[in-house]
Amino acid sequence: MNTAVVQDRQRPNLAWRLLFSEYLVLWLSIAYFLLMIPIIPGIATRTVFLNILSDMLPLLAVAIGQTFVLIVAGIDLSVTSIIALASVVGASVMSGDGGYLGGTALSVPGGILAMLAVGAAVGAFNGWCVTAFRMPPFIVTLTGMIFFSGAAIWYTTFHTETSSIANLPRGFTILGKDGPMGVPNALWSVGLLAIAAHCLLRYTVFGKQLYAIGQNSRTAAVSGVPVARCLILAFMISGVCAAVSSILYTGRLETGTPILGERILLDIIGAVVIGGTSLFGGKGKIIWTVFGVLFLVLIDTSMKMLGLSLFFVLAIKGIVILMAAVIDALRNRVLMSGG
Amino acid sequence: MTKFHPSLTRRQFTLGALLAAGTAGWPVFVKAQDQKTIAVLFDGLYSPFWVAGIEALQQDLDGRGYEMLQAISDQDDNKQFEQVKAMLARGVDGIIIVQTDSNAVIPAIREANAAGVPMVHFNRPPAESDAFSVAVQADNRAITQETVKYMVEVARELGGTYKAAILIGNLGDPNAIGRRDGFFDIVDENQDIIEVVSRIPTEWNADIAFAGLTNAFQANPDINFLFTSSDFMFPQITQVMRVANKFHPIGDPNHVIFGGFDGDATAYELMKDKYLDADGVQDLFYEAELAVNAIVDLQDGKTVEPLLLDPGFAITQANFEEMKERMWGYHIYQANQ
Repeated sequence: MNTAVVQDRQRPNLAWRLLFSEYLVLWLSIAYFLLMIPIIPGIATRTVFLNILSDMLPLLAVAIGQTFVLIVAGIDLSVTSIIALASVVGASVMSGDGGYLGGTALSVPGGILAMLAVGAAVGAFNGWCVTAFRMPPFIVTLTGMIFFSGAAIWYTTFHTETSSIANLPRGFTILGKDGPMGVPNALWSVGLLAIAAHCLLRYTVFGKQLYAIGQNSRTAAVSGVPVARCLILAFMISGVCAAVSSILYTGRLETGTPILGERILLDIIGAVVIGGTSLFGGKGKIIWTVFGVLFLVLIDTSMKMLGLSLFFVLAIKGIVILMAAVIDALRNRVLMSGG
Repeated sequence: MTKFHPSLTRRQFTLGALLAAGTAGWPVFVKAQDQKTIAVLFDGLYSPFWVAGIEALQQDLDGRGYEMLQAISDQDDNKQFEQVKAMLARGVDGIIIVQTDSNAVIPAIREANAAGVPMVHFNRPPAESDAFSVAVQADNRAITQETVKYMVEVARELGGTYKAAILIGNLGDPNAIGRRDGFFDIVDENQDIIEVVSRIPTEWNADIAFAGLTNAFQANPDINFLFTSSDFMFPQITQVMRVANKFHPIGDPNHVIFGGFDGDATAYELMKDKYLDADGVQDLFYEAELAVNAIVDLQDGKTVEPLLLDPGFAITQANFEEMKERMWGYHIYQANQ
């Protein structure tokens, strides 16, 4: 037997290498898309690609923030309430129907700053509660979600007789719209956010500290990592990312609404976890989150285009996500066994 | 050399992975068709009205040879916007939509306008804007006025003074505003016998309605005049009334004068059993027909008025036998027997 044959037998085949690649979710997305082409007329078109990109961006923004919190072994359930609260606060500043800065040159920057401030403030509050009182992030952010969702509705009642705040300036709504050649304007802001988040995690001491906290916070503290400060910053990043997402959703709908994002919590956490970030902390990458968001949005888009009844949509979506999770679990099982 | 978990061979793993990936192709039963397609996008199927509504649209479209694609947004305005874009990319010939928020739907109308696809709002009109669409809507205010007028007549016949409560819907929905205004139009004319002691916001959520009405009865145990802006909350309302010892039939001295809006099967049953005095009825089948007619006319390039009104009617204990056949809930009730 010659050397070439021996090497060929030892080298795993292409499918095997794809399955064990860190890009597994991307390969699954591509496989799913290819399977859908004969089933859904018109899915492989430029319009649909741009729709998928446009739908991914606001979800990716908030999922990036969630990745930071999951890496430190936390969870942020309050992100949907931040999206809602930031939406109505920003709209109340910018609205042409009696907004605080409505009709002035400061309305757009003022509104955006107000939205980011809401995200940072709620994130700081969450982080402070987790570190100062040693409360589980699940409880802190769950109660935060309930409180801030209610606050968003309460705040709206002071600014409109209906349930939403409209008449937002075009300078703001354009942020959530498509630009030249149909490319979403949000691509640049969310792209920058993703690159910045990747660099922060990959190349800075702060990033390494976050992973260390996620693996073992006590060991990290003994090693000199400022655990409390890092945790607060992780939650603040999550809050600001949720506010960025709120800016994009609010601009897209041209309306500030207190139920914005109310139903997407599972999509946010699901996308991050499907991407490969561990719920137990210490493991996660922004690129994985990008793949997770792509996978979920792709499934959603195909379901929307199929036009099936709600039962079939939920059943198929559930099965596909479960199967992705099964593949990931089998893969991890093999890897853990030393494969 | 690759090692494996003792209980899992490489072949088993590969087979499992392939099966899992293959599952994604299950919906192969969906096939492209040459017939015209209409997208029906609802924000939820959370009440009998919407369930019956989507079925009525399905029947009407089937009867005319259209294919119906449906999507439910689960009261998520952004998801519905994405659904509209996906359906436009799919190349549908028309969209019938029920939105959650009358402002947030406007970008979706603009997308449909840009694609040259007609859009019709079923039962819930959008806010005013420069975008063009057609809305089919019940004359909520007039129907509620007629309903509450009958309730006031009953109150005057019985004599005495009344403490009233109203369950109000989501004020982002013009239907909720019309029903609220119709109620107050009549009650405000009769302040000599009726005082409104409780305005209960429900956000079209049965749980919120339950909690709100419970609190209202605790704060005002003497409420004896009750109107709900939608029949779908009847199960929660009657439960609260039972607990508060307020659920008594007409003729009982403790009967609460009781009215609702929609005309669903529960309303029919409550009318039949003499617990409900009056109910505003939307003509669901007529509204479905109006919506599909509007889509067809717009596709044919005909001019369609932006608002198509369903006049509806109030069914009362006085005209119950005569009008019940026109109540959509009556037909659903009969079908379920």
